[in-house]
Order: sequence, then structure tokens, then C-alpha cells
Amino acid sequence: MTLVAVCVGAVGLALALSFALTGRDSRSTWPQAAPYLGGGEAQTHAWQRFHFRAYTMTLVFIAFEMEMMFMYPWAVVFVHEGLKAMAEMGMFLAILSIGILYGWREGVFRWQ
Amino acid sequence: MSLLDRLAGRAPVPVFACIGPGMQAVTEHALLSPRLRRAASPREAAVLLRAGAIPERAAAAFGRVHDQLPHPRAVLRWDGQGDPADVITDAWVDLLNGADSDTDRRSDEPPNPWEGKGDHGQGGEGMMGGVPYGRPMAMTGDDIRDGLQLDAYTATVGPFAPMLPPGLTLEITLQGDVIISTSVTAPPFPQGDEASAPHLCAARLLRLLGLNAAAARVARGSSPRALWTRGAIPAGLGEAAKGEDVRARLSAWLAGQAGPYQAPRIGSMLPGLEWHEAMLVLNSYAPDALHRACAEEEEAA
Repeated sequence: MTLVAVCVGAVGLALALSFALTGRDSRSTWPQAAPYLGGGEAQTHAWQRFHFRAYTMTLVFIAFEMEMMFMYPWAVVFVHEGLKAMAEMGMFLAILSIGILYGWREGVFRWQ
Repeated sequence: MSLLDRLAGRAPVPVFACIGPGMQAVTEHALLSPRLRRAASPREAAVLLRAGAIPERAAAAFGRVHDQLPHPRAVLRWDGQGDPADVITDAWVDLLNGADSDTDRRSDEPPNPWEGKGDHGQGGEGMMGGVPYGRPMAMTGDDIRDGLQLDAYTATVGPFAPMLPPGLTLEITLQGDVIISTSVTAPPFPQGDEASAPHLCAARLLRLLGLNAAAARVARGSSPRALWTRGAIPAGLGEAAKGEDVRARLSAWLAGQAGPYQAPRIGSMLPGLEWHEAMLVLNSYAPDALHRACAEEEEAA
């Protein structure tokens, strides 16, 4: 009950503050909403597809971090399972290393 | 007057300056005042400082920048005589006391009519044919790095972009943050020799690096007192000849040596660089060198 009261109170306070601090006339006009280009104009819309170059970093993150996530439980059962677990982990790492090699080719390990 | 307004009245006034011919050095000095804060964009400014006579060709651009200041706002003209800090502070306090905000100079219309047009309200026919919010969709163009064709964004930047010398208007095509092509639409306004003084040039470069306090110290003529300023610039960036990169030019300016007399053509200097690199390279040349390079480019064309 107290929790609900605190939550409702916090939300109410946030809404009240945001209304109180909003400017006198916060409606923005078309010239105001234009992208800021120091007096210049955009020819096209900013909705566009561009190259997400951080994807190589994401790839390396999955290759190294996610690998560790599976290796902890594997390390617990490794003694029981023996060679079979060893082979399975070898296959898993082999697949992941293809991703690392691909990232290497894309230049993710180059220091810039 | 509310408590918030009173507190705001005591804070430094956020000012955005539109700088006219021959006014760059005096304006940069005036904005060093502790009572003023140089806003990076009109969106965070309250006062628009119109320094000097803005030429006719930049009048429409001035109107666009003017309208991008949020309300309440004020516009002040300044001819370079005396310290404008008092007048600016008075205008700011007046605004907080409820003085009338400056009205828009441009009409309240989207760049192209679009509302209520098309099957899905996109302002035209087909998936890419509309003009949502008044502008056409970007189309694919060649990528100069890996050949992956993605949308190219073309826009004119300037003449009042704070990272470009005042007056310089560039038409820039970007893919993501990589500049694919640039062309000079209008050259920078002629500035006096003071604007190309080494300490002011170094201060501009430091400001681009986000070292505002160090930039202010350098502009006042003292040492930057910032660690590792050179290291913040990638090595070998904007290399004109062996060992003559942006870092070297910054070091020379900090040592008090006037910058290189010649700048390469802007159209060949920037393509292939990411936006932040391009701005560092551009600002590693003094305004008079850029002005000369643009004039030569115009003659050749």
C-alpha cells in the first residue's frame, strides 16, 4: 500500500514539475522544428538507412562474452561428462571463432 | 518574477552569435565575458547576437537561425564597439521579466505541403515518393568505403554554423557520418588579420575538442593548462605534407606561430573523412587561408 502511494506520488510530482517548468508557449513552429544546420537547409528527410559500423564490435562482444556465459556451467559438468563435453565445447568454440575471424577481416582488431 | 527566473537572471546568458564580415575576432573576444555563455546551437540560446552587417546573401539563413531560438528570445545588433555584455544581460533580464519574445521571421509552413496527401498520409505516391514532414526521402548513393549502397543525406551547412568560418556555406553529402562530397556554395566572409591570429585559431580548435575552458584561456592569450591536447586529435589527420598534420598545426599555433598561408581546396580536403575529423581538418587552417582557397576555387570554376 505504501509502495503504491509512493509510486503514485512520484509520478504525480514528476508530472506536476514538468507542467510547471514548461515554457509559456512550448508549441514549436515549422521554422523552429527545422534541423539545425547553421542557416543551411536539408534537401532530404533524416529518416534514412546508414551503415551501422559498430556491428563488428557487437560481433566480438557476442563471440567473447557470450562464450564465457556458456563456459561457466560447462566447467561445472566437465568433470562428470569428460571427453563428450570437451568435444561439444570444441565445436561451439570453432563456430564462434569463425565470427572472430570474420570480425578480424572487417578490421575490428585494428587499433585506430 | 519567480525564483527560477531570478536564478536564471544571475546565470551567464546563453548567446548565439551570427558573425558578419570583419567581426570574427571582436565577437570571439566579447563572448569570452564570464557573464555570457557561448551556445553551441540556437536551440540552447536566449539571445541572438547579430555582429556586424550581415550581407544580403545570408539574410535568409539569418532568418532560419533566428527562428530556431526557443521562446522567449531577443535579437541584438552589435557593431563591434564596446562590450556587449551589459546590453545582452539587460535584454535577458527583460525577457525573464516577461518582455515580448521576438516573433518568427519565416512563415509557419513545412518545406513542402504534405499533410493529408497520399494513401498513408506520407505526402505523395509510393513508398519513397512522399514528402513526410515536408522533405523527400533520402535515396541510395555510392559509399566510398566499402561499396555498400545506403542512403545519402545532402544538406547545406552554414553560413552561421559555429564550426565553420562565418559565411562559409557548404553543400555536404553524408553517408552516416562520412562525408561523400562537398562543394562550396558561398565563401567565408572576409575577416581581418586578427581573426587568423594563432591564439584565436588554436582556441577554435580546442573548442571543437570540447575543451571550452582551455579554449577561453588560449583566446585570452595565456597557456591552455590542459593535459594532452595534441593527443585528442588523431595522428596523421589532414596531412598536407609529411609531418604537417592537424596536430602539428595546433602545436605551431600554441607556440605562437601564424598558421599555414595556403589551404587545400575544400572540395578535395573533406571527402572520405568522418564529420568530426572533417571539422578538425577545416579548423586547422586559419580563416584567411580558407578564404583565399575558396576565392581561388571560384576563379578556377
